[in-house]
Amino acid sequence: MSEGSHHPAAVSPIERRVAALEALLTERGLVPDGFIEEITRRYESEIGPMNGAKVVARAWVDQAYKERLLTDGTAAIAELGFGGAEGDHMVVVENTPTVHNVIVCTLCSCYPWPVLGLPPAWYKDPPYRARMVREPRTVLAEMGCELPSDAEIRVWDSSAEVRYLVLPERPSGTEGLTEAELAGLVTRDSMIGVGRL
Amino acid sequence: MSTPLSLSEMDLPRRNGELAFDAPWQSTVFALAAAVVDHAFGGDREPFRQQLIQAIAAEPNRPYWESWTAALELLVTTLPEQ
Repeated sequence: MSEGSHHPAAVSPIERRVAALEALLTERGLVPDGFIEEITRRYESEIGPMNGAKVVARAWVDQAYKERLLTDGTAAIAELGFGGAEGDHMVVVENTPTVHNVIVCTLCSCYPWPVLGLPPAWYKDPPYRARMVREPRTVLAEMGCELPSDAEIRVWDSSAEVRYLVLPERPSGTEGLTEAELAGLVTRDSMIGVGRL
Repeated sequence: MSTPLSLSEMDLPRRNGELAFDAPWQSTVFALAAAVVDHAFGGDREPFRQQLIQAIAAEPNRPYWESWTAALELLVTTLPEQ
């Protein structure tokens, strides 16, 4: 190719490294045709906080389901069809007027993928991972989540096995809403525990 | 209220804003890790997680997906030669 005139957009070093990994792993037969596209599509459009919102809404309208959810999160979540990678051992922690739960992964970025999708950037960053354990009330306030001064804050550090999901309190004044309408009220942040509804 | 519920459900993934990936190489390296976990480690995520923990600890301020890439590079070196 003659130099210069159709120079493609510069490929960054990290893109080159990923391309090299892709070539190596493909050569070893570890990357089936279409695998990358399929995984990307699933995590961009199918797997996300809308799944967790359905779990929360079901728990709000169905007391028996809520009890199953708090007893065996993995099984109750599977009842709604959600499971898979990073969801093998799900524990659901319930917010009450006096207890506020929040999840973190201090070592890396463990997160309940089947119900929340992939974590937001701030969840993976050092300040959140370090400070949520040390000074949760301050960090929560900085994120706009003000709690009553007498509320107990429980911080759940995701470990190798367990992935946590926060069951937020059902907002008052929602008695007339359907389950689907309730799901529409549930935010990702409320299920991480950095927001309230 | 005339908006069909299916529409409000479709809105849910966007309620919290962010897309999962900022650039194609990020989704590629995410999927490559899934491929290795699934097809070289029988679905066991722990070996990759340990590499990721070490990669993040080694350079805490490195961008996340670059640490992810470094972790996968190291994990791949542990695979048996074929």
